[in-house]
Order: sequence, then C-alpha cells, then structure tokens
Amino acid sequence: MKRVTKYKSELTGTEVTFTVSEKLNKLKGKVLAPKKLAEANELLRKLKTPLPK
Amino acid sequence: MKYEVYKDIGVTDDFSLFEFFSKGKNGAILKRVTFTRTEDGRIYNLAFGDVDETDDLDDYVVTDNGDRNKVLATVAFIVEAYTRRFPDRWIIFRGSTQERLRLYRMAVGLHLEELSVLYEIWALGDAGIVEFCKNMKINAFLIRRKKS
Repeated sequence: MKRVTKYKSELTGTEVTFTVSEKLNKLKGKVLAPKKLAEANELLRKLKTPLPK
Repeated sequence: MKYEVYKDIGVTDDFSLFEFFSKGKNGAILKRVTFTRTEDGRIYNLAFGDVDETDDLDDYVVTDNGDRNKVLATVAFIVEAYTRRFPDRWIIFRGSTQERLRLYRMAVGLHLEELSVLYEIWALGDAGIVEFCKNMKINAFLIRRKKS
C-alpha cells in the first residue's frame, strides 16, 4: 500500500503530495554527495563563531 | 512568493532523500534532494542535483530544462517540509559553483522578508556566522526554523 502524505506550505498555501518510495528507502544511509558533504564539514571546521542560540 | 512547484515528490520514510521529475524542453529529468548529517550533529547538509545513469547525484550538471524557478521552488518546498518535521535541525547549503551560490543568494535575498517569517537565515562568511542580508558575500547559508 502506498504511503502518501499531503503537505501544505505555510508560506504559499500550495499543497504537494509526498509518497514514500521503497526504491529511495534502499538508498537510506548512503552518502550521495560525498564531495559536497566534505566541503560543508570543512567550512564548519573553520568556523570561529558558535552556532546561534 | 508564488511559484509553481512539482506536486508529486518521492521520499524516504526518514525524510533524508527526496525525488521529483523536472519536466521541460529536454524531457523529464529526475532530481534528487538529500539531507546528510555533518560532523556537527546539529547541522545537516543539503545537496541537490540530477540523478545520473549510475543512480548517483550529480550536482554539477547544467540541465537547462527551462523550469529553473519551478525546480528551485520545489526544493524550497522540500526544505519547508523537512524543517517542519525536524524544526531543531540546522540546514547548511550553498551552490556547487560560485554561479549557483550567487543564484541562491539572489533568490533568498529577493524573498528574504517572507522567508524570515519562517526561518532564521544566517550566512557563513569569512567573519564567521552572521545574519544574512541582501547582497552579502557569503560561503554558505545556514538556516533553521524559527521557534514558534
């Protein structure tokens, strides 16, 4: 059975359907953009200021 | 802010991956959006791009499918849904190229007032984390849902 959720935007009122995909579920946990993640980690490591409260 | 969005989106049950089809002059192109935990466990990296023939995410490809605003609005919608489910998570994002970072900066700047109703919008710059303002030179965005 398809698992479907409808979301309505708080900003625009637009409604979109999200359907859980078993094909996508098989990719869970895999890092799909490793270079981008590495770059983000590098940027965050260099931070001299803490995250805002 | 009223842009068309793609209304059928595939998702994992943990909301870490999303997919939708861009439909335009070059046909139907599968897009993927991922949120991956960074070394700082409070921050998740947003990556977005086309799904290539090996089922990997290619965030450097230029699709030119004639629907840029609709695709960006769909990604913004996904961010809204994601942060509704995980309101305490920070999202870091930037473009894979300077041109894309400039595009995102312009898009956020153009809608800053409306977006600020929902999000705290910060910029990672050479000086550290500062509140984002229009036309600011930045390395990445850092956003989080405002506490209600």
